Order: sequence, then structure tokens, then C-alpha cells
Amino acid sequence: MSGAQAPGGSDGPRGSGGSGGFAGLGRATRERIARAFGDTLARRIFLLLWVTLVAAQALAIGAVTWVRGDFNVARMPGAPTLPPLPGLMRGPQGQPPQQPGPSDLHEPALPGDLPPPAGEPRDFEHEPPPPTPKGPWRGPFRALSAWELTLDYGIRLLVTGLAAWIASRWLARPMRDLVRASQALGQSLHKQEPLPLLDERRGTLEVRESAQVFNAMARQLRRQFNERGLMVAAISHDLRTPLTRLRMRLETLDIEELQRQRSVEDIREMNALVDAVMELFRGDGPGAAEPLQDLDLGALAQALTDDLLEQAMPVRFEDPGEPVLAKGQPMALRRVLGNLVGNAVRYGGSAEVRVGRDAQGVWLRVTDSGPGIPQAQLEAVFEPFYRLEESRNRHTGGAGLGLYIARELTLRQRGSLVLSNRPEGGLMAEVRLQPV
Amino acid sequence: MTRCLVVDDDAEIRRSLDEYLQKFGVSVGAAGDGREMRRLMAAQVFDVVVLDLMLPDENGLTLCQWIQQHHPSVPVIMLTAHGDPISRVLGLEMGADDYLAKPFEPRELVARIHAIRRRARRGESEAQTRREFRFEGWAFDRLLRQLVSPQQIVVPLSSAEYRMLSALVERPGRVLSREQLIELTRAPGVEVNDRSVDLTISRLRQKLGDSPKEPRLIRTMRGEGYLFDAQVQP
Repeated sequence: MSGAQAPGGSDGPRGSGGSGGFAGLGRATRERIARAFGDTLARRIFLLLWVTLVAAQALAIGAVTWVRGDFNVARMPGAPTLPPLPGLMRGPQGQPPQQPGPSDLHEPALPGDLPPPAGEPRDFEHEPPPPTPKGPWRGPFRALSAWELTLDYGIRLLVTGLAAWIASRWLARPMRDLVRASQALGQSLHKQEPLPLLDERRGTLEVRESAQVFNAMARQLRRQFNERGLMVAAISHDLRTPLTRLRMRLETLDIEELQRQRSVEDIREMNALVDAVMELFRGDGPGAAEPLQDLDLGALAQALTDDLLEQAMPVRFEDPGEPVLAKGQPMALRRVLGNLVGNAVRYGGSAEVRVGRDAQGVWLRVTDSGPGIPQAQLEAVFEPFYRLEESRNRHTGGAGLGLYIARELTLRQRGSLVLSNRPEGGLMAEVRLQPV
Repeated sequence: MTRCLVVDDDAEIRRSLDEYLQKFGVSVGAAGDGREMRRLMAAQVFDVVVLDLMLPDENGLTLCQWIQQHHPSVPVIMLTAHGDPISRVLGLEMGADDYLAKPFEPRELVARIHAIRRRARRGESEAQTRREFRFEGWAFDRLLRQLVSPQQIVVPLSSAEYRMLSALVERPGRVLSREQLIELTRAPGVEVNDRSVDLTISRLRQKLGDSPKEPRLIRTMRGEGYLFDAQVQP
């Protein structure tokens, strides 16, 4: 403490004078005072407990008194004061009652309505004699009847229960807000939406501090997210020039034809990776800019399979015989379908494409007859750079971005993309889109 | 001999393109930035400009517009790092005649240079570089390779359908024999024959909602070939 106050030495004299007020004190002291008297969680809980207990007490007493007053006022000597209540009048300071509980309950059966036996103190302010703290000494007051007891307990239970329920909701609200904001944060970072910032001015000191920390963290994340995106995009962009140089060099160098072809293949693969990364990190990529249009899904699938057939790929399209219309982005969908069909051919040996319509909307399914994917990994393959163990080999595995991008692009069209293993063997990728 | 001006800020790419294109009968002048390009274009005549979109001093798009204003007869092939269709649209709308994403296949560049030269010689440039054709309520977007129906439904086309429809809409009202269509729809690495022409025509009719029995848009001229019978809007 003294260490903390040392830098604010000039404040010292006024601070120690005590009349300098809040501003005159050292920072650490001010903080401590703010903590002690400010709107902290501890204070709220304290006040809440206090108010609830007093209210429960007052209401219960009031109600019982009122009930009794109706019938017994005449017999009450003097003004009714706080009646001793069961539980409050137990022996001095936590000392267990010497008479067991049942006597409390049976009090109404005792001659409680009669004047107390002589010799017993009448004023209940006097310490009751320790040996008989619960005895029928209750002065001018008769013991409570069973009904009155029930009323008393009932009111207490009701008031404390109600207060506890309201208070728990009230105290938990900032926590719920925090949870909601945290859940929204990932999405909004990803989609470049406004950040879900918390109100830094409302709530207790702790809540306000948490809100400040959360908001600072969210802003920091956004900054880093953007910087990372820009950096990756810039690197990817700058990779194209050396790739072009390499490609040109391969044309003019005197090397074996097979080696040359392999190198060209490698350059193509690297470029595909650069394309994929650019698309992910450039917010203005084709997926984002393309409007949602009504499109003929069958025509799209047919066009794509025709193109692949032209390159002698083992693909097939089953014409549904009627137009299947969907809402989507034509270029992005071509990309999604191209990726799914490419995967089916690469891992499953062949691809079959169907389109159709059902009660839930419009679907497009790409099936293969390959080994499928282990059930536990059906979702994991959508993670970026995730690859199934056996496909680590670059020549079959690709970069591991294809499915991730395909799902991103489908989601942007308010659709969905799921994989499943077919009972008859092979994998099925299903794209669902909004119908027209 | 085709005279080509390569504008790229990377010295090795300039040099290797020079060396490579020589082998295909293209002589190359090279510029490293926009100022150099303007100087060279003022001093010599070029048949085609290969222009990088990213230059140190000036944006490729502005340079492209400058070429259009000052040398309107010189076609431009734009090189860029963005391969996506939106960048392509932007490049072509800014006046580039063709568009190639880096890293490109050197042979592809040679093919594009020759194609552009051929078009320029035949004077077909306008119809050949047009992006959109409209007929009978349909819109044919050649860049996105799709048709938009009169009901505003997008109908994607395959490469074969796209090449076929391009050949047809560029020559409305003319009977085209199968041999001509094979010639017009030839593409590298693809075998086009009588059967594939017929198949593509039937697919196109299906997509255009043209009845195969009594086609109205793409008519069969018995023993002669096919005729695209629609008014193509300018």
C-alpha cells in the first residue's frame, strides 16, 4: 500500500488530511474506496440478501400480527411488539435448544393462551433464563397456532424464494449477455459484421470491467483477423510473379520432358492453393459479390458434367426430366459442384450427380462408390487444411481447403452441405438450396 | 511477324517472354512501367499489347484506357494475378480484349495473341469480343458462360454449348454446315466431330426450350447444316 501511494507523493498531505476528498487520495486508495463503496457485485448481493431477509421478516410478522390482531387484540397487553418467532428465540447465540423441536410445534396444544406462570419474566427483552429458553414464558403473547406458523413460514418461503429467483436472473443477466456476445463474436469476425460489443456503462463494477476487457479483446481480434487476412492475401498475390517466372523458365530450360511436365503440374497445384487462399481471405471474392439468382440446377449439373466428360472423366448426370429451380449464385455453385465431383472422382473413382426436389427444398447429390469416410470424421473434413490420414500424400490430397470453401460458398447462398456414407457403400455429398 | 509489346515490371518475365515468343514468330518489345510503355508506343507500331495489371507506377486499367484512347486499333491482353470472373469482368469492361491469369500457360498466351491477330485482320473484332447477346428475351453472357431466360432464370452452359452458341449468335441467319461448326467450335484438347456437334445442338435446344421436333431458334437445314434464326439485338 505504501508503495502504491509513494508515486502520488504530492497528494499525500491533502490525502492524509482527510478533507481533500476523493480526488485528493492516491490512485490505489481511490480504487480501494471505489471497490468498497462502489456498485460492486458484492454490494448488490449484500443489499439483496439484507432487503430480502428484512422484507420477509417484516411481511411474515405483519401478516401474523394482522391475523392474530383480528381475534386476539383484546387479550394483548400493551402495543404489539415484535413477537418472538420460532427459530429466532433459540438459546443465546447458537446454543442448541435444550428442549427438542417438537415442543415448538406442540406449543399450540399447550395452554399457551393462558397467562404465563408466575415467576416467569413478562418482558421478553429480559434474557430468558438459560434452562428454559423455549418454555411457555412467552410473556403476554400466546404461542403461534399451527395455522399461524404455516402462514409465517409460507410468507417467508414465498418472499425469499421470489427474491432469490428475481435476483438470480438479475445477477446472471450480464453473464448471459457475455455468453451471447462471445458466441456471436466468431461469426461476426468471420463475416466482417459489426462486433457484438457489450455495454461498458451498465451493471456492477465487475460487469463493467468485464465488458471493457471483452470489447478490447474483440477489437484486438478483429484487427488481428484483418491483418492476417491481408498478409496472407498479399503473400499469395506476390507468389504469382515467381510462379510465372518458374513457368516461363521451364519452357526455355533444356530439361527432360517428364521432369518438365511434373514441374508444370507442381506449379499448377501451388497456384490452385494460392487461388483457394485468396478466395478465403479476400472479402470481395466471387462468392461475396455474386447476387442470389433463380437458376436451373439441372442445367448447371449437366453443364459441369458435360465439361468433365469432354475431358474423359468418369462422371454421370441423371436428368430428372423436369426443371429443378433453386435460388443460388451460379458461379459459386459451379465451384462447389466442381469440388464435390472432383473429390468423388479422386477418392471414389467416379461421380454420379442427381438433382431433385422434396418438401424441405431443392437438393443436389454427388455420389461415388469409393471407401467413404469414417463416420467420426464426416464433419472434421470440413475444417480448413484437414486431410484424412491416408490422403496425406499431396498427389491425391490437395490442400485440404476444397470442402471448407465449398461449405462456405453454400452457406453464403443460404444452403447447406453435408456428407454421409451410403448404406450401399460410397460417399454422398448433399447440397441443399432454397427453392424458387 | 506479329509485333507484341510486353508491359511487366518483372525483368525476368519480360526477358523470358521475349525469348519464348520469338520461337512462335512474335517479335517482342518490352516495357517495365507505364512511362516506358507510352514512350515505346509513340515510337513504334505494335499489333498487340500484353499488359500486366499491377505496375509500379500506374494501374494497368488506366493504361488500358489510355491505349484505347490513343491507339484504338491495338488490342490488349491483360495479365493479372486475380483469376476470378469478377476481375475478368472488370478487365474486359475497362477495354481489354482478352484476359489471362498469372501464372499462365505460355502456349495459351501464344494462342491468344494469334487469335486476337486473326480477329483484327478479319475485322470481326466487335462481334467476337462482345460480352452479351440478346435474342427473343434471352440473354447470353459469354463471360459467365450462361443464359438468362425471359423468366430471369439462369441457365448455365457447358464449354461445348458456350462455344456452339457463340458461333451461332455471331452469325445469325446464316446456314452453318457441320464442318464449319466443327471448325468454329474447336478448342484445345477437345475432339469435336459430327456427333458431338449434333449432341451439343440438342442440348442447347433443350436449354433454350426449343422443341426438338419443330425447333424455332436453332433450325435444322436438311443436308446443309444449322441456322440460328433469331434477331440478335445490337
